Amino acid sequence: MINYEMTAVRARSAHGSLGVMLRLGTLCAGTFISAACLFAKRSMLTLAASSLLLAAVAPTLHAQTIGVSIPAATHGWAGGLNFHAEQTKARLEGANPGLKVVLVTANSASEQANDLEDLVAIHRMDALVILPFESAPLTGPVRNAKRRGVFVTVVDRGLSESGIHDVYVAGNNAEMGRVSGEYIKERLDGSGKIVVLRGMPTVIDEQRFDGFMSALEGSNVEVLDDQYANWNRDDGFTVMQDFLSRFSEIDAVWAQDDDIAIGVIQAVRQARRQEELFIVGGGGMKDIVKRVMDGDELTPVDVLYPPSMISTAMELTALKLISDTPIEGEYILGSPLITRENAEDYYFPDSPF
Amino acid sequence: MVQVTIDDASNTAIAGTAHESHGNTPPRDSLLAVQKLKKSYGDIEVLHGIDFALRRGEVHAILGENGAGKSTLVKCLAGFEARNEGQLYVNTKQEFSGADSGAGSSTIADNAVSAQLITAKDWTHAAAEAAGVVLIHQEFNLAEQLSVAENIFLGSELRGRGLASLFLDKKQMIDLSRDYLATLHCTIDPATLVSSLSVADKQMVEIAKTLAKDARVLILDEPTAVLTQKESAALFELIDRLRGRGVGIIFISHKLEEIERIADRITVIRDGDLVGCYPAATLSKDDMARLMVGRELSSLYPKVPAPHESASVALSVHGLHVAGASAPESFELRRGEILAFSGLVGSGRTALFETLVGLRPARSGSESKIFVQGNEVRLTQFADARANGIAYLTKDRKGSGLLLNKGLRENFSLFALAQFAGVLIDTRAEQSAFDKAVDTFDIRMRDTGVVAGNLSGGNQQKLLLAKMLETEPDIVIVDEPTRGIDIGTKSQIYHFLAELAAAGKALVILSSDMSEVIGMAHRVAVMHQGNIAGVLSGNEITEHEIMRYATGLKAAAA
Amino acid sequence: MTKVDFKTAGPFIALIALFILGIFVNDAFLSAGNVSNILARSSFIGIVAIGATFVITTGGIDLSVGSMAAFISGCMILLMNALMAKIDSFVTIIFLAIVASAAIGALAGMINGLLTTKAKIEAFIVTLGTMGIYRSLVTYMADGGTLSLNFTLGDVYSEVYYGTLLGLPYPVWVFLAVAIIGYVLLNMTVFGRHCFAVGSNESVAHYSAINVDRVKTATYILQGLCVSIATIIYVPRLGSASGQTGILWELEAIAAVIIGGTMLKGGYGRIGGTVVGALILTLIGNILNLTDAVSNYLNGAVQGVIVIVAVYLQRGAWRAKN
Repeated sequence: MINYEMTAVRARSAHGSLGVMLRLGTLCAGTFISAACLFAKRSMLTLAASSLLLAAVAPTLHAQTIGVSIPAATHGWAGGLNFHAEQTKARLEGANPGLKVVLVTANSASEQANDLEDLVAIHRMDALVILPFESAPLTGPVRNAKRRGVFVTVVDRGLSESGIHDVYVAGNNAEMGRVSGEYIKERLDGSGKIVVLRGMPTVIDEQRFDGFMSALEGSNVEVLDDQYANWNRDDGFTVMQDFLSRFSEIDAVWAQDDDIAIGVIQAVRQARRQEELFIVGGGGMKDIVKRVMDGDELTPVDVLYPPSMISTAMELTALKLISDTPIEGEYILGSPLITRENAEDYYFPDSPF
Repeated sequence: MVQVTIDDASNTAIAGTAHESHGNTPPRDSLLAVQKLKKSYGDIEVLHGIDFALRRGEVHAILGENGAGKSTLVKCLAGFEARNEGQLYVNTKQEFSGADSGAGSSTIADNAVSAQLITAKDWTHAAAEAAGVVLIHQEFNLAEQLSVAENIFLGSELRGRGLASLFLDKKQMIDLSRDYLATLHCTIDPATLVSSLSVADKQMVEIAKTLAKDARVLILDEPTAVLTQKESAALFELIDRLRGRGVGIIFISHKLEEIERIADRITVIRDGDLVGCYPAATLSKDDMARLMVGRELSSLYPKVPAPHESASVALSVHGLHVAGASAPESFELRRGEILAFSGLVGSGRTALFETLVGLRPARSGSESKIFVQGNEVRLTQFADARANGIAYLTKDRKGSGLLLNKGLRENFSLFALAQFAGVLIDTRAEQSAFDKAVDTFDIRMRDTGVVAGNLSGGNQQKLLLAKMLETEPDIVIVDEPTRGIDIGTKSQIYHFLAELAAAGKALVILSSDMSEVIGMAHRVAVMHQGNIAGVLSGNEITEHEIMRYATGLKAAAA
Repeated sequence: MTKVDFKTAGPFIALIALFILGIFVNDAFLSAGNVSNILARSSFIGIVAIGATFVITTGGIDLSVGSMAAFISGCMILLMNALMAKIDSFVTIIFLAIVASAAIGALAGMINGLLTTKAKIEAFIVTLGTMGIYRSLVTYMADGGTLSLNFTLGDVYSEVYYGTLLGLPYPVWVFLAVAIIGYVLLNMTVFGRHCFAVGSNESVAHYSAINVDRVKTATYILQGLCVSIATIIYVPRLGSASGQTGILWELEAIAAVIIGGTMLKGGYGRIGGTVVGALILTLIGNILNLTDAVSNYLNGAVQGVIVIVAVYLQRGAWRAKN
């Protein structure tokens, strides 16, 4: 009934075809797919197109509901997340009249737990796509939903207990830190002085930071200091200003996040020290990708951590509901380096992020 | 018997002979005593070595003008203020003969007759309370949103036994509270909220609290200032009963007839010095007043000639309908006239005039016509009244009259501020106007840096007067101008008011003090239940007539 | 013996102590660049806090300032980007945006003021509500992302933040001007006296013929204007606004005001103290960035301790015990 080509090949193409990610036939529960499988934004669109096709082929007989619970758009990356979730919801519902997607956003872990109760009790959802605010506090609520027979897809942040989720879609934070570290190490030929601007004291930040530091191990790259910049432009600006006052010699900056990087760029320009250093951000914000594409010396590269992973998760879940295809498994997305050569593939001017 | 001779030059001599001195130790039957007590605030000494002793079972009045140091003295006695010099003796722990003491109330040897010496550092408020010394302030210390019983046991709540000790024993607290209140011949239900009680009942609750604490010394600071005559009478009966039980009571009041009624002994202080201690029976009211003031009081109420018939009308009010009153009100006031508004508490005097000057909205939909010096005006807010030469002094000088935590100059200029300001405030002009007012109104302060809350009541009232008169209004309305003020300052205030009338200003005095109304007014409007019941003038102005109108026995001829 | 007035001197002592600490921590602390960074940085919170001094002195509170700053930033950016197509002169565009910013600030302040005085809702609740409203509006306007000012225009406008006069950045001069005007207004005019009176005791103010509602509303409008001034110098710094702009500014502004010696309960306000308070808050962050001595995880704790110590010094509670 479904006309998909199924493949087990791990393609690395940024233009990835549908087959790249959907290993529908071959995946069974518990299968673990290691890192390298890559979802670029382009490929998501292709997937969306295929959903349309899917709907045409297999109209459902009774209404199905997907509950999507994500953090509110309080910063750039989460803004991108919300944008992609909204888009995917519109696409899925437009293509499948029998499918209802309920999207709720929360400002805190406890608010998100309340949302889950509502999704179960009021909306009677059949499947849940959740990007947990925090892992531990939401493990219980998600398990409760699971016990009521809800199909669970967890995105980005894993739960504290294994065996709850049916599908897990996530970026790889340690990988993201490692890719950034390796680039800086290579570019500096193994020795130099750098500063690090971190996010907030959370698990994500720790994983990225540890990955980054492990990549530098054994080299002569010295981290002068690291400070939190709260994933925020203003703090990025302030912290970088102080680093510039404090250190007369800085060869590179790891800003870890593109919002922070924007602030860092302004601080460096104010101090007129563009010539002596370069900046590596993270996430794939369009402003930074554009700079990479234009060959800005200050930001030669960026490291992808795409908020569009929510679309992947929603598409997979919809597919499961509509077609009853076995889709269980873990999908870990890689963090490729965005360079001047491939930047065009990652540049989406219409996205808010 | 003590000889009282009144003579400025011999005042110290009086103090020397009259004071019941017992050498270096206070009398053995004292509950609480101080010797050579000195108290300073900063560099300023306010008590210059006071001797005072309170016996068991006596009512001891402390008499003095505002600012003489009465309140400071009792605060030192109750441990609210630490004294700087002097000895304090306390001996409250022996059993009262015949008094029913609570279990465990006397852990110290019951027959300890010699007074224990307590040093200044130890005499904190907590130590005083533990010794059974309790001060009831002029402003009550009650939690308005708690019940009577909860207030009585506030801070010493009773718990159940065993497992129930986790919880409050409400029933027992209510039962005990009822007993205490019954001792006071008071019928308040212990379960009612304090916020719903009358002022007099709140005072009863305060006193009941002291019973719960097994008080041996009860200090009452102007307890009758907020009570009606009937309530005061009930309070005196209660004081008599407590005295019978052996409680020592220190009583402060400005009302000399009350002191005559209740006190056994009277200690007089003036400007921080002890004048003397006298058996109450030896002093007449005139003696008391003279000892307090230290000079002859000129006639309390200065005579102001009634305005000539041709004097123009300063204020004319037609159809002013106060929200809540049954009918609109009209009256007139001439230049140079003093018109008093009398009536029982709650008869609507304040509401009428606050509505007139724009401090409260009139009854909605009502139309009034108000003429000031012959011109029709609209007074929708208080600033309109000010612009038309009207000043109104509130009776609530602490709550609405003065910023207690602000300096005197700031308070003084607040109402007339525009007079001192162009774009910026001319502080020099403000200061010189203030200095002049301090002089004119004889405002006495410790130093110029004090805040208004540190002034004595009389000086606060003089400051308020200065503040409201700085705009040089032609119509002055004063609400209870002498409430809670000593006789000397009272006399001063009457003279200020008389001078205003003599200078052609029109004056309205709202007062519940009958002698003040009779002594000052050219005409008296008596209010009953929100409206004027009748207007008296000349020889008609008698206590009897006023009361007949005030109580509704007589109504204005229609 | 001269007595030290700790109410006035307390915050200054804390500031000087921090300054000395900064010198010890890092030589770079005293460099011209760092000093000018500190001053420019403290100007945002400082200007907002001067407005807050009026509100708090009058017995009110405004929690909406941070969100309001984000909202006004967003409006300015959208307006300027839109005007790019219609007007050639960049200076005209920027001027119009500044006028709009002041108008929105005053209006937003007036809404807070009228809801507090006319609708008789507690200021805490009113401004908690508007705080959420403005924050959501800017997130909505930015589609959850970030609003960015047109780059060419941004380069011209950025002079307002990065430019200097007599060696000091423009924001510092603006801060100084706002502080002087605020000082004069609070301490030397009838309006300022009325603020003290209303904050000290509304009833007394009412009985002194002061229009209490008008004074309170005026303080909120003043607060709105201060937020708009802060925004006018904030936007050119990064040329962007998002849901994260101005986050927690309200708490930092209130903290600066209280550190400076203004009483949260009203009736007592000090503009000079507020300026010092804003500098203290900025200094703490700066010093922490200049040293490795404190674990990053403890930054918040250090800030908390310094704020409490500064207020303790200023209240002089320790002297009352002696």
